[in-house]
Order: sequence, then structure tokens, then C-alpha cells
Amino acid sequence: MYKWYVLNRLVRGVVIFCLLMVVTTIMFNSINEKLQRSVINEQVKAEAMRLKNVTPEQLNAFRMDREQQLIRQFKLDRPLAERILHQSFRAITFQFGKSTLIKSSTGSDDVRTILFEAIPRTLFLFTTASVFSIVISISLGLKKAQKPGGRLDRSTSFITLIVSGIPGWWLGMMFIMFFAYQLKWFPAGGVLSVPTPTGFKFVLDALWHLMLPLFTLIALGFWGGSFVIRNIVLSILQEDYIMAARARGVPENKVLFGHTMRTAAPPLVTMVLLSILGSISGGLIFEGIFSWPGLGNLYWVAVQTNDIPVLMGNLAITVGLYQAGLVILDLIYGFLDPRIKTGGKA
Amino acid sequence: MTFKDFKTGMGEFFTEFGKQKAGLVGAGILLLAILMVIFQPLLSGEYSDVEGNWRNIAYWEDGSPAAKPVWTNLFASKKAAPGMVLEEFELVDGRSDSFRTVTYSFVYNYKHDVAPLDIIFRAVGYGTAALELTITRPDGVVLVLPGVVEQNMDKSDYRYSVETRARNAMVTWARRIESEENLRLTDTRSVRPPNVIFAKAEPGILRAPVALKGEYKFTMTMSSNEPNARLEEPHLIMVGRVSGIMGTDTNKRDIWVGLVAGMKWALLIGIITSAISVLIGVFYGIITAYFGGKVDYIMSFIFEIFISMPVLPILIVLSATLSPSIWNIIGALVVFSWVGPVKTVRSMALQIKEETYIEAAKALGASHFRIIFKHMAPLLLPYSFAMMALSVPGAIIYEASLSLLGLGDPSIISWGQLLQGAVNGGAVLNGLWWWVVPPGLAIAIMGMTFAFLGQALDKILHPKLKTR
Repeated sequence: MYKWYVLNRLVRGVVIFCLLMVVTTIMFNSINEKLQRSVINEQVKAEAMRLKNVTPEQLNAFRMDREQQLIRQFKLDRPLAERILHQSFRAITFQFGKSTLIKSSTGSDDVRTILFEAIPRTLFLFTTASVFSIVISISLGLKKAQKPGGRLDRSTSFITLIVSGIPGWWLGMMFIMFFAYQLKWFPAGGVLSVPTPTGFKFVLDALWHLMLPLFTLIALGFWGGSFVIRNIVLSILQEDYIMAARARGVPENKVLFGHTMRTAAPPLVTMVLLSILGSISGGLIFEGIFSWPGLGNLYWVAVQTNDIPVLMGNLAITVGLYQAGLVILDLIYGFLDPRIKTGGKA
Repeated sequence: MTFKDFKTGMGEFFTEFGKQKAGLVGAGILLLAILMVIFQPLLSGEYSDVEGNWRNIAYWEDGSPAAKPVWTNLFASKKAAPGMVLEEFELVDGRSDSFRTVTYSFVYNYKHDVAPLDIIFRAVGYGTAALELTITRPDGVVLVLPGVVEQNMDKSDYRYSVETRARNAMVTWARRIESEENLRLTDTRSVRPPNVIFAKAEPGILRAPVALKGEYKFTMTMSSNEPNARLEEPHLIMVGRVSGIMGTDTNKRDIWVGLVAGMKWALLIGIITSAISVLIGVFYGIITAYFGGKVDYIMSFIFEIFISMPVLPILIVLSATLSPSIWNIIGALVVFSWVGPVKTVRSMALQIKEETYIEAAKALGASHFRIIFKHMAPLLLPYSFAMMALSVPGAIIYEASLSLLGLGDPSIISWGQLLQGAVNGGAVLNGLWWWVVPPGLAIAIMGMTFAFLGQALDKILHPKLKTR
């Protein structure tokens, strides 16, 4: 009954997304409405300035009328529950309107354009970092699991514990201070130089800007992963069929990659996908420190400039992508592991 | 469980704990941290009343801006004068019937290559008096700095800064010594008086001063015809080029003092947040597993909503709307971090639930409450101690992140706020490493400490995880 499982999971994902949007709308409601009222005021003021040859009474009447009209248009005169539902509906259907201050690089103030410009940048940085981290994690984790309690295993586990408390953005600050300002090897931030070079130099320039944040993310990223992989692989290596394979004289490499890694695949897939999903919102502060104009940095800018439409849009996109990722993960899992889709106990 | 059981249990626990080297290191650092919290006033020296004064500009008025730590002198070819306060003075009270002259003399032994940034005389003044500062140099030259008449001081703080009051006098004196050519090349407006005061009286005094080492005598002369005019608690402050154990920031604040003061807030935030949220999470997991069915479905759904929220953005919005108090921050952190242990606890509780003694308890008519608290929770609580220790670093980092965005509690001093100051003060850009490294390192070491502790607890309470 895979299709019922799929349907169930999809519906749950959508429901959770909608609920989260309602919750965030409620959280933002008062500040959002204050903002809308000030926008209306500005607009009415601007329109009143353009009127000519009117008496003060007429001007006042016009302003009152126009204000009422706009308030009705934005549904600010309705009861609170309806306003919230209206706003949530707009958020769920990704209608965020126009930003109040932030502009995209092409000068557009459409929130969706701004967001779609930022998403690839965040994905580019964090996915690349995740891929490198995971490759290192897997190779290190396997090495650790082969000789548990050995020198390599103990020393890297020790370093993992030491590294676990280091905030990535702080390491970023240190690297910027040392590599960007002291040695001047890398730029201190941004995605591309201004003016942007073209052709092959463009690629080099992009890579040059990518190096420092990427290196920071990898330097902290793979330790925890390698520890988890060590534990997964180690528990599989205890299984009887591994012992049987070894007894049959199957070469160690084949035992490791053929037998062990195949069984370890589902939890590994989860780990990989979750780490990529977790990076969707971007290291909020990390991107800020590196002036990397992705989704995380957009949060920071939006909060600082009080740009609520962009903030709401950003939240909706982040939550939406994350939910979509979780649903896909569960669907893959259900496909791989028949016990899950039939509702049996694992 | 009797007290004897408890005692043997604890005994076993500590024997086991003694075998965990990392755990011992963690416990040691934690003990050190707690000692630092207790002895904060002692460690902060002259700034022992820093609490509540961190953002008070007047409190830090006599510090040196962006000074390196004192120990950097060890690696520098030119030793810079450290900041210090001279409190010992020699008092000469010359009194006649209608007029009194009191001198306060301080001796400063200058043995560095780079002069202090400023020399500040401070006292609490009473009455009307004429005040004049004279400096007797090791080479016998006596410099008389411009005097002032202070009217009707009423227990008011009196402050005389050489840097601001004596520039013209010092430049005029140095002009007579300096060579013609150097004078042409020097902009006298940028001359720092202390550089001249502590330089050899030879050509080059303005352009490239050579340090004149030896004993300097600073004498403040107070003359007044009022019988009750006096200066109390006079002291002389050398504003150093290097200052304190960790240097100072651009707002003249001592970073070491801030670090020590931030320790207790880091511990408080970390421990309270993790303790509350892990307890909530553990009981949430137990209840979900124990009741099963509809309760499980609904509670799992709520759990799923919470794990799908992007924590930091929502935390930021929450802290921007709430007033930025430390308790609000802890509350907001708890709301988002209780989800951590739920999944693991739920699966463990599902196993325990099937045990026969639970069945027996049910058959004996034990209430749900009794089964959960008496039979299931005690088995899972040890696990939660490890979990608590492991989730402390996360809470500390979240608080630091919020503070870095300027959403911290302004009435406390936290490491995140030190870092925020560093980011806004251009410490990264200007290479003020002593402002960036220590707070982050402190966060990292605290994280490491609790990771060590958590790992050790985990190994003791979960023998399965031991190296196989």
C-alpha cells in the first residue's frame, strides 16, 4: 500500500506547513499590520500632495475616504481571525507582495524575485560544503570503525569533542581576520568581485570568493559526521553475516564497501539529506559574517530593516523547502524499508 | 531506593567516572569555571563593581582604547608601558594662617620604550583651590603643566588629563629642543604629550622620541585660602599602551573583566536551558510512548511541528518582539530545544513499557502517574543527565548568536555581547585579535567541557557505547 503511505505523508507535510504558516503569521501579525498602516498613511499623504486647487475641507475628506478605501482593500477593517486567515493564506500560496526596503540585484522589489535570487547562493555554498564534509566523514568514519579504540579512533573522537563547542561564525571571523586581512589571500566576503569579470575569470573569481567560507564549513563540518558513521558501521560490523563473509575469505574492502556500506546506506542517506536540509535556512550568522547574500543573510537584513514581507517570505520558503525535504526523505525510506510503509514496528 | 543503595550507586558512579579521562578533564574545567564565578570580584581587580557598569562610558573613562594584552610585551621588540594606577603618594602639607599649599607626589618608574597614552590625575575635591601638576624627570628637567583653578568643589570627582590639558605646553617646550628640519616635517597638532614627557631632551623629541628611562616624580600642588579645601583619595593613572590580561576594546573596556563576568551568565543560560528542556523532552517522550494510540499520534504531530521550525530565524523574531531580558531568552530557547531527547526517549520508553514489571504494576492497580514517575522515569533519568550536559553548548551558542545580532539582554555581560562589540567595533577589520579570540575561545572551551562531561556520563550510563 505504498500509495496510501505516500498520500498520508504528503497530506501531513502540507498540513504541517500550513499550520506553521498560521503560527508565524500570528507571531508577526501586530508588527505586520502596523507596517501596512504606515504604508497606507504614506500613500495617502503622497496622493494628497498631488491634489491641486482644493479647499482644506475637501482635502481632509479626500484623505479620510482614501484611507478607508485602502484599509478595506488590505482588509484591515475585518475581525482579527479573518485578518490572520487572510495573511496566512497569502503566505501559504507564496504571495508576499513587495518588499518595503530590500531590493534584488536587478533592482526589483518583488519578494519572490529577491528570494529566488538568494536560494541558489545558499544552496551553492552549503551543498558544496556538505558534499565535501560527507566524503571526508565517510572515509574517516570507516577508518575509525576498522580499528575501534585505536590511536586514530581515539584521537579523532577527542578532537570531535573539542570541536563540538566552536561556533562556526566565530571560526569564520578568525579566518577572515587571518586569511583575508592579515595574509590577504582571500576576499573578506561577498560572492563576486565588483566589477565582475567575465568568461573563465568569472569562474575563478567565484571560486576565490567561495574558498574561505567553504573551508570554514568543512573544517568544522565533518567531525560529528565521522563519529556517527563510525558508530553505524561499528554496529553493523558486529552482525553475524559480516563474520560469515570474513570467514568465507571475502576481501576486507569488499566486506566494508559491499556488505557494510549497503546496510548502512539508509541511515547515511538520512544523515546526508538532513544536513543539506538543515543548511537551507543558511547559517544565519555565518552568512552575515561572510557577507554571503543567501537566505540566512536575508533574514539578518530583513530583521534589521524591519522588512516584514521579505522576512515572512523567507520563513515560508525555508519551512516549505524543509518540509518538502522531509517528505521526500520519508518517501525514499518507505521505498527502501517495507516495514515502514505497512506500519509495522521497526 | 534507600539511602544505602543511593550511596553505593554514587560510589560506583564515581569509580566509573574516575576512569573517564575526558570526563575528569571536563569536571576539572567546570570546577575552575565555578571558582571563577565565585571569585569574580577578586579576578576583576580594580573593576570588581563592573556588574551594571559595562555600558557606562564614564566608568571606563580612564581606560586605554584598543590596547593589546600586557603579555604581548614579551614578544615585542619595543616594550610598551602597561596601564597602572599609582595610589602611593607623599604628602607635604604647608600651612600658614590664611593660605595652605599641599603637594601630593607620585613616583613612577618608567622602564619601557613606548610611553603611556595619557597620564590622568584623579581625586575627590572639596572647596576652591588652584591646582598645578609638575613633573620632575630623571634628567633633572622640571616640567610645569598649565594649572587650573577649581571653584567650589563639593565632593566632586576631579580629573586632570595631561593629554587634553598640557598639549600646547609640551609642544612649546619641545620646540626649543627639536631641530629645525624635524620641526618642519612634524605636524605639532598630532603630538601626544606623554611621548614628549617620557623622551630624551635631544633633537628628535617630536619626530622620533627616544625613551628616557628612570624615575619620574609627578607632583600635584594644591593652593587655597580656604581651610577646608582638600583632595581626597588622590591617585595617578597611567593609561597604558598595553593593558590587562586580555587587553581592552575600542570603548576602553577591559576584556578580561568582561570574560570573567560573562562566565556566570554562560553557565546560567546553558545549565538552566538544558536542564528544563531535557526534563520536558524526557517526560514528553515517556508520556507519548506510555499512552500510545491517539495521544501518541497527536503528541508526535506537535513534536513534528516543532522540529520543522527554523529555530534561529524564529528566535530572532521572538526576541525582537519580546523585551530582551535574559529570562525571555532562556524561555524562548526552552520552547525550541525540548524536542532534542524526545525521539530517543520515546523509543527507549516503548521497550520499557513492555517489561513484565510494568505489567505487574498495572495488574496491581498502580495509577498511570505512579507507573510513569516511579517505574519508568527513574530508568530514563540517568540518560537525561548525559543529554543535559550535551545540550549545554547548544544553548550557550544560541545565546551568543542572539547577542551577536544585538538581541541580547543589555543588563548583563555575555560572551556573545563581547563578540557583538568586536564585530561592530571593526575588530576583525583592524586585526584586534585580543577582542575576537578570547570570547569565542571561552564559548568553545565551555562547549568542550560539557561535551567531555556528557560523553563520560553517556559511556558510564550506556555501557553499550563503550569502544567495542
